[in-house]
Amino acid sequence: MSAESKAVLFNAVPLFAVAIAYLGVTAALAPNLWRERSRLTPNELGLALVFPCIGIPAAILGAAVLESRTAIGGHLWATFAASVIAFLPALVFLSRWSERNELPSSFDERSRQAGIQRVFYDIASLLATPISQAETLRAVARAAAEALGGASAGLLMPAEDGFELVAQHRLPKEIAERLGSAVAEPLATCVRNHVVIAAPNVADDDRFEPQWRDMAAKAGYGAVLAVPVEAPGGRNGLAVVFFEGRRRFSDYDLELAQNLAGTARGALERSELYESERRARALAQQLARTGTLLTTELDPAAVLDEIVAQAPALLGTDAAVVRLLEDDELVVSAAGGEFPDDLLESRSPATGWAAADAIQTGTPVAVGDVDDEGPAAEDPALAAGYRAFLAVPLVGSEAGLQGVLSVYARRPRSWHPDEVEALGALAANASAALASAELYQRVALEKERSVAILANIADGIVAVDREGHVVLWNDAASRITGVAGTDAIGRTTERVLQRTLESGDDAGLEGLGDRLVPIRRGDDEVWLSLTEAIMRDPAGAVSGRIFAFRDISAERVVEQMKSDFVTTVSHELRTPLTSIYGFAETLLRRDVPFEEEERRVFLGYIASESERLTRIVDQLLSVARLDSGDLQVSVAPTDVRTVVSDVVQSAEQAPSGNGRRFVVDLPTEPLDAEADRDKLRQILANLVDNAIKFSPNGGTVTVAARANGEVAEVRVVDEGIGIPEEEQRRIFTKFFRGDAMTRDPATGGTGLGLFIAHGLVSAMGGRMWVDSREGAGSSFAFELPLVRAAALSGKENG
Amino acid sequence: MTTVLVVDDEAPIRLLCRVNLEAENMTVLEAADGDKGLELARAEHPDVILLDVMMPGRSGWEVAEELLTDEDTNGIPIIFLTARAEVRDRAKGIDLGGVDYVTKPFNPVELAPLVRDLVHRVESGERDDLRQEKVAELRELLERD
Repeated sequence: MSAESKAVLFNAVPLFAVAIAYLGVTAALAPNLWRERSRLTPNELGLALVFPCIGIPAAILGAAVLESRTAIGGHLWATFAASVIAFLPALVFLSRWSERNELPSSFDERSRQAGIQRVFYDIASLLATPISQAETLRAVARAAAEALGGASAGLLMPAEDGFELVAQHRLPKEIAERLGSAVAEPLATCVRNHVVIAAPNVADDDRFEPQWRDMAAKAGYGAVLAVPVEAPGGRNGLAVVFFEGRRRFSDYDLELAQNLAGTARGALERSELYESERRARALAQQLARTGTLLTTELDPAAVLDEIVAQAPALLGTDAAVVRLLEDDELVVSAAGGEFPDDLLESRSPATGWAAADAIQTGTPVAVGDVDDEGPAAEDPALAAGYRAFLAVPLVGSEAGLQGVLSVYARRPRSWHPDEVEALGALAANASAALASAELYQRVALEKERSVAILANIADGIVAVDREGHVVLWNDAASRITGVAGTDAIGRTTERVLQRTLESGDDAGLEGLGDRLVPIRRGDDEVWLSLTEAIMRDPAGAVSGRIFAFRDISAERVVEQMKSDFVTTVSHELRTPLTSIYGFAETLLRRDVPFEEEERRVFLGYIASESERLTRIVDQLLSVARLDSGDLQVSVAPTDVRTVVSDVVQSAEQAPSGNGRRFVVDLPTEPLDAEADRDKLRQILANLVDNAIKFSPNGGTVTVAARANGEVAEVRVVDEGIGIPEEEQRRIFTKFFRGDAMTRDPATGGTGLGLFIAHGLVSAMGGRMWVDSREGAGSSFAFELPLVRAAALSGKENG
Repeated sequence: MTTVLVVDDEAPIRLLCRVNLEAENMTVLEAADGDKGLELARAEHPDVILLDVMMPGRSGWEVAEELLTDEDTNGIPIIFLTARAEVRDRAKGIDLGGVDYVTKPFNPVELAPLVRDLVHRVESGERDDLRQEKVAELRELLERD
């Protein structure tokens, strides 16, 4: 039960006694009935007594009692009761007068009482409802005015210098403007000594300064009541209530004022709690928002900017600075708020001043007002006009990152522990965000480097994950396989290349040397020299693989050609050798008497096969010379027609030429080219030999020569099997033997004939090419420079 | 009398074989390519076939495969004549079912004793032993490589 309700009860008890003594049962029962009906609280009981008495002769007692209670207060009740008994007849008169004249004023009084009740009711409900400090202060001001029957009221709380008006109720503008700065005696005493100061006639009250009195008078106020108000945290203020006209303050008024102070204190404590909760919630929300912002930022510089943007918003300050430790100095790495331009990147020692202390001690440094703190609270950023600051250390998860986050306020302020904690939390967030941003930058840089390396190395690099899906496919891999990275990523190598690159899961690392793996690239077969690295998780299961490969098709083709060459040359050499050696051994037999004719045949074979052997050796020699570049050609004007005729004639006579029709197409005029006759014969013989060899089903072989501008063009055309387009490109390379030759060993040849022919034509200053279609014959052509007419005629003349 | 079929595209080599085998009282049949060789083998059932590997048209290996898968001719022992000196080429001939091989160049005087010995062993039912010997010989060569 609150103090004021006790007081009312105290007042009500003698009233009951009087009522029972003088008015009998009716009056005594009435309040009980009333109380039951309205369920009023006890402090309303005193008023309730009045109403049932109205209209009966003794009712004036109730009205008088009420009047007296209001005016004199509880402790005089006994005396008053005695007086009432003594002056009953006079009161009877008064009551009659009152019935006629005093009823309206009694209604006024009742409504005033009702107002007071409402005010206390409001204050009580304020205690139960968490509302903001501003609302609470406004409610206290209103309560002060209404409870005490004042016209207006202002609530003053201590501020930076003196007092400020924090809330008011119906204060005239002139007073509202001046009240905060006009707290002098005796109002100061009110605050200092926690006493109610009453000025029933302020105009004549010389405790107040003349201006003050003047101010009140101008607003039409005659009386003032100053009530001390205690706010939590020792912040003592006061409520100033103004009354219209002069006013006598009863003890009851003063007591009410004291009660008001107590009530206000409760409400303020309550609102302080509410404010603190609200602040904590706001800080938490702000921190969460900031945290989200920071974690999504991956650029360290942007993280720093974000921190200095968010920190002032978090604590309602004006600026923020981040300094990072570099070489024993603190460097301003980011600043938000009004600062001179040269603050950024400026350096300060890492010891000996406030923000540096934060990093040295690892604890926050809070300064509410630098003017009070002296030189211990130095901070270079303060020069930009700040008075308060809070610095918290930034400590990254890595030992490398250290710094200080400071926020600055232009006006002195206190730093609530919640706020210090919040800034610390922001600093921790920021440190983590900075660390991850820096890590990300490093990783990104590493990745960029790796990507650049992977893009620029000639080897194909492919990585697959646990499931065998491609996660990396570099440019070289695309080039070698002909499959773009975008088509390969996310698929298995089997799907991408139509064959798997993986070795078995059980293969140890040592078992994964170079492997030769053929794959298809369009219509081509590509040979990869492949190495494979298997990555295993701690349990030993395969967690991924990395393949590195080179396209060794070209090397392989050369290797294959060399190997074929050795086989072919071996065959080409062994065949004539077999005859030479065999017939020699046969002739040496003493047990068989060969006839002369037989001997001649045997010796003939030895001779012709020896020639064949010589030709092959010559061919090999030509290649060696072409390779070393010292193939000698002695060019002289040569009539191409005669060489063509010779070669075709030999071919017709040779056994291999059987069944082919030869057509020779030559001009009637001499066709003199700058050529080496022997080499020209060799070239033509090779082309004609090929034409025969690759026309297994016979057909016509045409050899044509003609002048074409400044060159003699020679063409050997067959109706044979033709040459696949892909082979045409390589047909003049060393060791190259067409697929038809490899399939059919008897078509033989060393794979050197066309290489040599091509080399010889080049050596004579001409060129050679082929036109062919698979299955439709081939046309080999070459051209040699014609002897210029002038040079020729000069020679003929000479 | 022993009949030997010589299949080789090189006329001088066929002649070599003929004169040296006939000198030892053997009958020689000649074929210049694989088709002709198959035809003669089926028609004449020679006792031995000397088969060149590298020939135009059907190669010696193809001819051997065809002969050995034909019940009518798979009993005829085949000796490969080959200018391919590499061990794996020789091994291929034995793998296919040949009983021996002769690497070019060879001494034709030694052909007849080789054929005679082979015919004798095959007639004594040692054809498989003969092949086993050759396989062991080749294995040794391969290991030496």
